[in-house]
Amino acid sequence: MKNKLNNIYSWIDERLQIQDLVNFMGKKYVPVHNHSIWYYFGGLSLFLFIIQVVTGILLLFYYKGSADLAFESVQFIMSKVQFGWLIRSIHAWSANLFIFAIFIHMFSVYFEKAYRKPRELTWVTGMLMLFLALGFGFSGYLLPWNELAFFATKVGSDIAGAVPLIGEPMKIFIRGGDDVTGATLSRLFGFHVALLPGIFTIILMIHLILIQRQGISEPMHSEKSEKKEFKKMPFFPNFLLRDLLFWLLVLNLLAILAVFFPSELGKKADPFASAPAGIKPEWYFLFMFQSLKYLPANILFVEGEIVGIVLFGLAGVLWLLVPFWDRKSSQGQKNVVINYIGIFAVVFIIVLTMLGWIS
Amino acid sequence: MKNLIIIFISLFLLIITTNAQNNLKEDQCFTCHDMLGGEPAELFKNDIHRLKGISCAACHGGDNTTDDMEMAMNPKKGYTGVPKGDAISEKCITCHANENKMKSFGSHLPTNQYQNIKSSVHWKLALNGNEHIVQCITCHNAHGIVSVKNPKSPVYPLNVPKTCSKCHSNEIFMRSFNPSLPVDQYQKYKTSQHGILNVKGDSKAAECASCHGSHDIMPVKDVNSKVYPTNIPATCSKCHSDANYMKSYKIPTDQYIKFAGSVHGKALLEKKDINAPACNSCHGNHGAVPPGVESISKVCGSCHALNAELFSNSPHKKAFYEKNYPECETCHSNHDISEPTIKMLGVTEDAVCSKCHKETENKKGYLIAKQMKELLVRLESEENNAGRLVNEAEQKGMEISEAKFKMKDIRQARLESRTMIHSFDLEKFKEVVDGKGLTTAKIVTEEAQASIDDFYFRRYGLIASILIISILAFSIFLYVKKLEKKQNNT
Repeated sequence: MKNKLNNIYSWIDERLQIQDLVNFMGKKYVPVHNHSIWYYFGGLSLFLFIIQVVTGILLLFYYKGSADLAFESVQFIMSKVQFGWLIRSIHAWSANLFIFAIFIHMFSVYFEKAYRKPRELTWVTGMLMLFLALGFGFSGYLLPWNELAFFATKVGSDIAGAVPLIGEPMKIFIRGGDDVTGATLSRLFGFHVALLPGIFTIILMIHLILIQRQGISEPMHSEKSEKKEFKKMPFFPNFLLRDLLFWLLVLNLLAILAVFFPSELGKKADPFASAPAGIKPEWYFLFMFQSLKYLPANILFVEGEIVGIVLFGLAGVLWLLVPFWDRKSSQGQKNVVINYIGIFAVVFIIVLTMLGWIS
Repeated sequence: MKNLIIIFISLFLLIITTNAQNNLKEDQCFTCHDMLGGEPAELFKNDIHRLKGISCAACHGGDNTTDDMEMAMNPKKGYTGVPKGDAISEKCITCHANENKMKSFGSHLPTNQYQNIKSSVHWKLALNGNEHIVQCITCHNAHGIVSVKNPKSPVYPLNVPKTCSKCHSNEIFMRSFNPSLPVDQYQKYKTSQHGILNVKGDSKAAECASCHGSHDIMPVKDVNSKVYPTNIPATCSKCHSDANYMKSYKIPTDQYIKFAGSVHGKALLEKKDINAPACNSCHGNHGAVPPGVESISKVCGSCHALNAELFSNSPHKKAFYEKNYPECETCHSNHDISEPTIKMLGVTEDAVCSKCHKETENKKGYLIAKQMKELLVRLESEENNAGRLVNEAEQKGMEISEAKFKMKDIRQARLESRTMIHSFDLEKFKEVVDGKGLTTAKIVTEEAQASIDDFYFRRYGLIASILIISILAFSIFLYVKKLEKKQNNT
């Protein structure tokens, strides 16, 4: 048996020279320390993205992206297609876990200051992927064309429309007109299955190449004392197998969520019906949505909502550019301000999300 | 004592008569105009107002104490001549809207007529800028006004239909206000039971004002109208539920109570469904008569069209006619029609079919009724079973909307089958119950059951997949441990 496998391997290697790749991977090491656990969330995000792609393609076999047929096609997937309910539920749950894993990955990189020189571009590409993931969430939410999604998209695009200067054109671009209609569905469907995955894949490739070229970042104190060397673990097969183990556990979690909490479909969207009470966006937009609700109607002669959106925009830009203004970390110095900002952001997001959830 | 009473009454009459005579003597307008002759003065002779001592000047102005014509009809003395348009009614209300003034003439008439007429349909539309459709004199006359209780009054019950018809039967006049309003009410009324009695001189029989009101007449579509659909039963019952009032007519007075408890009454009076029938829907309104035995299915069929059509083509039509059975009423009753239930069908004691069809007598009908009942009971049972399974699947979070939608088809088939009973044709009935209802119920039951099975399959599948994934994960864990141990040793 072993000989047979060796023969197959030799046959492939003869043609593709994969031994070079194995040798390359064998030389890659992952630092082992108290915070090593956070390294797994990058891989988990990748795993969940792959699940999204696979389940998304399977859904595409039956989904019809028009206002007349979208709801019915999802209904068909849920009731008639063999394991259609499972594919859709996994796609929906995996989307949530994907964004959750990216958030954890992002904050772990932030608190470890892993974005510092020379990994500024890795951070920027990661952040861009987070924004794209949010775009995936927003565009995918409308696709079942149900009542909740319809009005949530309406509210969401209204908020986008409040951005000064570019808001209105942006809203019309997202909606494909003045209001949320079948044109919005076609547009967001296009974004969701073609445009965003294309861009995401390119950035993901750059992100992965950068990681391969620069290796995995070590915590800062290793640079403080050059003598102290971290224990290391081979990337292949040790880290990859541990990654696989983690993925399998998450796969179990996904299966449980999909079976016990399958995605609901609700009522078909009716543009002429009044909005149901308590319309809320998905949980990853909830902290922003809730914050805007707490703002007063006017702040210094400017509409409160506009002030809030501008502040979130600025915070996002500052967060994206953190490797460029956090000079201290790049120079190997301790920067507690970054930690305080990070803690504030985490607490802010958790508290506002919870308030939004219970309100 | 008796003598004393006679003396008092005589004195009282003497005082009144003397007073009236004095007043009449003082009315120089009437004295002259009476001498001159003419219709107004002739009519005014017996006018209730003149008899109460009210002079022509009360409406026309001027000085009624002088026989000098120029002085009497001098505008400076307030002479206004013949009032025109709304000014006519305004003259009337100087007294008729003034309670004290009315009492001073010994009248206890209500004083809200003007207020009522202003809210009525007759006052809503104007003829021109100065005049509304009706004035007081339109119905009560101008100079010959007599008490409402006087048979000569145009608004005496026996005269009301004719008075109203002056305008309401005039096509050309009515067309200028409401071209779609029929003008045959009076003609129909004369054919009605009420009209027949009215013509015979029965002042108790309903006339226009009995149902529409007098001064406060509202458009039929106004919810405050006495003849708005939801108000009709109460309006009719004012007389028809009054046992004393109806005593001489020897007809029942429990129609309202029966109707209020019926399926029609509940829809109309409780649910306020104005599509539900009121009294006039079956009896007619202006031409109200009880529907004849043979015409009942047509009357009911004006709403229950399909039932009526099926009945007309069924063997029962001829049989009922021969036995003089009042068609629909025979099984469903008239005023107290309750919601038909499955109990009405079949051959049990409480079933209506069993009134005529026995196992020994009319056996064909007996067998058909029995089979129809069995089929309907089965359909109801299958429908309930399918509904229960759909609910169960739904509660388990399964996507079952298509089967749920098909439940409507079963219900539709059940309703259709209830209609199809009126064909009394077992084959046609089977086509609906079996062909539509039971077939759909079977499909829904299978789909719902499959959904419930799928629910459990998902859970068992989950257990199996968790087991496989966990074994795989544990194997990797052991392999990693073994590998790292080996690596550490080397």
